[in-house]
Amino acid sequence: MRRSTFVRRSIALTVTSMLVAAGCGMGTQEPSGAPAASGAAAEVELSFLVFETPNLNAAFWDAAIARATAKVPGVKIKKLVTPNVDRTAYAKQLDAAGNLPDILQSVNPAGFAEAGKLAPFTPEELANFTAPAAGAIDGKVYQLPYNTQVIPVVYYNKDQFSKAGITATPTTYQELLDASAKLKKAGFTAMIVSGGGADTWADMYPLTGTVATDVYKKTPDWLVQRRTGAVKFSDPDFVKAAGKIADLAKNGYIDKAGLSRSYADGEQAFRDGKGAMYPMGSWFATSADNNKPSFEIGAFPWPSDDGSPVTPTFTGGGTLVSSSAKNVELAKKWALAFDEDKENNDAFVKADGSIPAIKGYVPPTDMGPVYQATVAIYDQGMKDGSIVNAFSQEAGDASLPPGLADAAATAVQDLITGKKTAEEFAAYLDEQYAKATQ
Amino acid sequence: MADTKHAVRGEPALATPPRTSRARRSARARLTPKLGRFALFALPGLLAYGLFVLLPILMTGYYSFTNRNPFNPPTEFVGFRNYVTLASDPEFLQALANTVIITLIVTVLANVGGLLIAMLLDRPSKLYLALRGVFFTPVVLSSVVISVIWRSVLTDDGLLNSALRGLGVANPPGWLSDPELALYSIAWIITWQMLGFCVVVYLAGLQGVPRELQEAAAIDGAGGLARFRNVTWPMLAPALTINTVMLLITGFKAYDQIQVITNGGPGTGATATMAFQVVKEAFVGNRIGYSSALAAVMLALVAGVSVVVLRVLQRREVTR
Repeated sequence: MRRSTFVRRSIALTVTSMLVAAGCGMGTQEPSGAPAASGAAAEVELSFLVFETPNLNAAFWDAAIARATAKVPGVKIKKLVTPNVDRTAYAKQLDAAGNLPDILQSVNPAGFAEAGKLAPFTPEELANFTAPAAGAIDGKVYQLPYNTQVIPVVYYNKDQFSKAGITATPTTYQELLDASAKLKKAGFTAMIVSGGGADTWADMYPLTGTVATDVYKKTPDWLVQRRTGAVKFSDPDFVKAAGKIADLAKNGYIDKAGLSRSYADGEQAFRDGKGAMYPMGSWFATSADNNKPSFEIGAFPWPSDDGSPVTPTFTGGGTLVSSSAKNVELAKKWALAFDEDKENNDAFVKADGSIPAIKGYVPPTDMGPVYQATVAIYDQGMKDGSIVNAFSQEAGDASLPPGLADAAATAVQDLITGKKTAEEFAAYLDEQYAKATQ
Repeated sequence: MADTKHAVRGEPALATPPRTSRARRSARARLTPKLGRFALFALPGLLAYGLFVLLPILMTGYYSFTNRNPFNPPTEFVGFRNYVTLASDPEFLQALANTVIITLIVTVLANVGGLLIAMLLDRPSKLYLALRGVFFTPVVLSSVVISVIWRSVLTDDGLLNSALRGLGVANPPGWLSDPELALYSIAWIITWQMLGFCVVVYLAGLQGVPRELQEAAAIDGAGGLARFRNVTWPMLAPALTINTVMLLITGFKAYDQIQVITNGGPGTGATATMAFQVVKEAFVGNRIGYSSALAAVMLALVAGVSVVVLRVLQRREVTR
């Protein structure tokens, strides 16, 4: 009798514990915008997803978080770090497990926003940004448009250019080919492209350049038209852009073996003088200034066929807030404090070569020559009116559907290794586009 | 003797007196409260198993019949559509082929290499004891750590190609950047990682071979090869079963190394395996329903192949 009572009590205790545990679990999913449990004085812990790179290391994030937190009382930030640079894929995994962080850094909002998982910022909240509508999805901005990046800039090794007898940077695509031929003849690898390991995305930048000059220059809203079906990847302009990458690889100007290098390894290979040109996002500029190699680095924009200026850029990339954050208003306030903070932006400029898109912001005066050269390319683009989107980096209505940028980056490797022709590459993207929008 | 045989088969031995119904009732009465206690002790384990193994499998099975996409609700029942699509999906078929190639290479190479190394190490000496530890080290290391180490060896600027260049090879192979080679590089890394496991299992098997049998075979005039074929190898049948099944499962679920070293490339699907494709479809393409169908097929395949191989190899253990 006593035994069966013991058993019954134990089962009751186990079941009660499970119900309590389940109750606790449900308690973490408070309704959107719920105020802190006991008024403004209570501290709310918000999770913040960040990613680390050689430029944006742990110390950088810790300091930036501390500065923003000091401006928003009542918030305690729990930093979450992605396992690799692909923060969007990781955010999806967390979301699938019901653990989308309260605040996210530089995650692509496509898919999340349409599914109602992100909180939009109001025009009033975006008043301090120079391009407040950048990356809007159905008229709403879910990601703070805090900075602009030029993608790609062609960074080059001045020593190797000089040794190869190249006296001026290429201004037309033919001149780029001529310079590549001279470099090859002089025994240098013309162009470093990486994309190994989990960093497949790092191989995209030459294609981003050719799509800008051959497709977006003529049709700036090309991806919007692709959404309606008015254009296709297999159209001649896009095939021509892809064909240029295939030819660069076929002629030995792009180092195929570099496809095994991670993003960090690719950067290091350029620093080590293993290639003369490094088409990369403008974030490389401060890395080049802060950690100077043994040679001087110059920068020029990806050249078009006729030499007319084309400046592919991306504006956005800032912080996002989950619509199911523990306290959405407080999370948005913290996100704004994080992205608008002068010191944080200075830190982003110094660590990641960012070109802040905040009204009245002036970068630190002691920035290095590669950053200055990069900003000059952007300023010239603004002056020329030659700014276009950067393919695969777009946000908002004119962006690729979820997963397609990854598919494109993977297929670029086929272009470089010769496994796919430009036509096959374009057909593959059309096929993947259809799959992604089913 | 006959009684023992019957007892082994689960039948009552002839000498055992038949139990009366009273005795049975008494035994049951003694056992009932114990069963409650056993159940109580088993409950946490059963709950954990149910929550973390059975429930996800059942949910995967359910999702595989839907078009679930967390970014594109609502979720609808689509019957067998995902399975039909799989059958003609070139990415899935390539991932399946890659998985089979990796599994075959890993199963054969790790078994053969493990057996050879085990035979070399099957000696009573401190040096060989230390070497056993060395060979087992990769087994206890994380796959991610191993992948990072091997990536630094096999990239273009890695140790291997630097050494080859030092030896005068102008254009060393692109171990990870050549789509024709990358899959074999991955298979080699998994083989390397599993080699120590096979060595330990074969060593245990070798040490269980009765010395008298070896000596008797030697007295009968059997040479080294004949002794291995007729004495050692048959006695290693259980070790072969364990190794083969473990290697098959390891090969079929290969994911970590691919994610860290090649991300499924270079290019479209050169090293993508089924497990990699499951994650890619779910968390890059957001196609949870389709990914679940892929996972269900993978589960069925791993379970099916493992059961068949286990049966075949275990039959060999009995008949020998």
